[in-house]
Amino acid sequence: MNDMRIVERTVDTQKNKISARNVQVYYGANHAIKDLNVDILDKTVTAFIGPSGCGKSTFLRCLNRMNDTIPICKVTGEIKLDGEDIYDPRVDPVQLRAKVGMVFQKPNPFPKSIYDNVAYGPKIHGLIRNKAELDEIVEKSIRKAALWNEVKDRLQSPGTGLSGGQQQRLCIARAIATSPEVLLMDEPCSALDPIATAQVEELIDELRSQFSVVIVTHSMQQAARVSQRTAFFHLGTLVETGETGQIFTNPKDPRTEAYITGRIG
Amino acid sequence: MTDATAGGLSVPAHSKSSLLQQTKLMQQRNAAETRFKAYGIAAIVLSLATLGFMLVSILSDGVSSFFQAKLSFPVELTAQTLDPKGNRAREEMTKITTLGYNKVLAAAFEKELAARGIAVEGQSAKDVAEVISKDAAGDLRAMVLANPAVVGTTIDATVLATGRIDGYLKGRVTMETAERDSNVTPEQLQLADQLRAAGILESVFNWDFLTSPDASDQRPEAAGLGVAILGSAYMMLLVLITCVPVGVAASIYLEEFAPKNFWTDAIEVNISNLAAVPSIVFGILGLAIFINFAGMPNSSTLVGALVLSLMTLPTIIIATRSAIKAVPPSIRDAALGVGASKMQSVFHHVLPLAMPGILTGTILGLASALGETAPLLLIGMVAFVDNYPSAPMEGFLDPATALPVQVYGWAQRADPAFIERSSGAIIVLLIFLVVMNVLAILLRRRFERRW
Repeated sequence: MNDMRIVERTVDTQKNKISARNVQVYYGANHAIKDLNVDILDKTVTAFIGPSGCGKSTFLRCLNRMNDTIPICKVTGEIKLDGEDIYDPRVDPVQLRAKVGMVFQKPNPFPKSIYDNVAYGPKIHGLIRNKAELDEIVEKSIRKAALWNEVKDRLQSPGTGLSGGQQQRLCIARAIATSPEVLLMDEPCSALDPIATAQVEELIDELRSQFSVVIVTHSMQQAARVSQRTAFFHLGTLVETGETGQIFTNPKDPRTEAYITGRIG
Repeated sequence: MTDATAGGLSVPAHSKSSLLQQTKLMQQRNAAETRFKAYGIAAIVLSLATLGFMLVSILSDGVSSFFQAKLSFPVELTAQTLDPKGNRAREEMTKITTLGYNKVLAAAFEKELAARGIAVEGQSAKDVAEVISKDAAGDLRAMVLANPAVVGTTIDATVLATGRIDGYLKGRVTMETAERDSNVTPEQLQLADQLRAAGILESVFNWDFLTSPDASDQRPEAAGLGVAILGSAYMMLLVLITCVPVGVAASIYLEEFAPKNFWTDAIEVNISNLAAVPSIVFGILGLAIFINFAGMPNSSTLVGALVLSLMTLPTIIIATRSAIKAVPPSIRDAALGVGASKMQSVFHHVLPLAMPGILTGTILGLASALGETAPLLLIGMVAFVDNYPSAPMEGFLDPATALPVQVYGWAQRADPAFIERSSGAIIVLLIFLVVMNVLAILLRRRFERRW
């Protein structure tokens, strides 16, 4: 049903935001990602697709060094954000994560008020000077996350009291409140119903104008709907990457074709 | 599946049976379930019955210790005896010992009895005066020295009766036991009956039991829990101050920051083992380290609290770690994902969520420390302590005793009046424990209500 859109989609030529070269990831003895090379463009939605356990979430978590929290995880190779290696020993992962925000698979708002959820990032990064500025950032972020009309009257009520879709949009609002440059989304719609999914997808499309968005998804329809570029992972290797339209209609690799047509995965 | 039906395999027999009739296997399974439920109920009933029996026996033995027989009669504080020089100077009056006050009390008591016409045949004046507790003169002396101006006047004094008379009012001492008792005669008990009828002897609520210090073997009527309660309170305060910061900090470090390697594994195992070490071992450790090596004063609340802290720390660390572990990892991811540092994620998000568990663990740890006796015996807290420890901080170095130790001490004494005191002390201890547990529940509720 989306074939027309895929074919007609134009991709602006954007500069590289993240470039990964020769990335290897090990979980202990397990070689989870092998020889990965990929470029992620600015102001573009890039979808990572592939069967379960193929390393797409692992690679996503490498991009903001969330893998550092797993002691047995080891990353080699080079991942550059705007030309700077994020695995350089001088890089503090905390500072990196302010630039590379993340939205998780399951909505995970803090057990605090809606306002505090969004205000937390700006507060700890010292992005604000006074309450008025904070109010402004909170409102702007919630508006961008298309949640404002639903929660504007109850900003002080707990974020955990929202519905699943609202919670996920709140998490997106929280992630964009720190004005990141890249937004990583790990299956952001897997816990949501179709209506909430549609809202989040619409939101992702809007976010593209300001951020480079990387989304991991199991749904090929979703990848086709929201992304401009798609990368197909299989068994820890990046099989193919290219424009979404080209990947879905004219894949170069037989494995990609097999996955898209439902023969593997 | 499809192969099986296609092959025409016979359907197992039991699927033909009616649903309205239980199969034999089903009956067995149901019976097993019923038996299991019965075991559970039996176990609960048994434990409740034990608890009930324990409470009833403690209450029936101990409640009477909150009431005490007291004699009220006017006492003329004769200046001649108490202040021979007549200048009301405290320094000179301190030379008059309790012997002098004894005389005053005995004379006043005799006078009052004569005035009321109370007398029992065949009793000497000494026998009559023996109804008054040996502690009464000391109390009177302290009162007079506090206010020398009362000398020469007549005051309405309320003084303790002896433990035997108290026991008679409570039914512990009877005419028959008095026959065989060298401390009391049946005549004195008859006198007590008359005194009670005249309103001189009364059983009143015994605040002194909660406030006064311990008393010697001969004066059970004067023995109180004041020093023990104060000592226990000091120790709980010190345990709280030493244990909670150390325990919570250690737990946070081990749970959130420490690398997972051989050493942290070894530490973890050892903390669990420490929690299972018999408490008396900690007493020996305390004796060796704090008293013999560090030279701290024995019997002091500081040493007691340090020993109890050693004992409570593993409990608090284990409770805190499991509370921290129970915080969903998604919260940590969320915090790290918006760029919080490890420390911020722990202190802003993990710790508040773990707080109810930490508080409950801490208070339950404190409660077990409050009831701990064995290690305190080894560091000398079982000694007879007659003086209140002074106010903190130097008060922490003063000798004191603790509630469970006082229970132990009194239970060992010969006079049956101390058995009653012992049970009374257990009641006080139980009230403290119940209060702490209720506090734990309330704090838990309060912190959990914040979503």
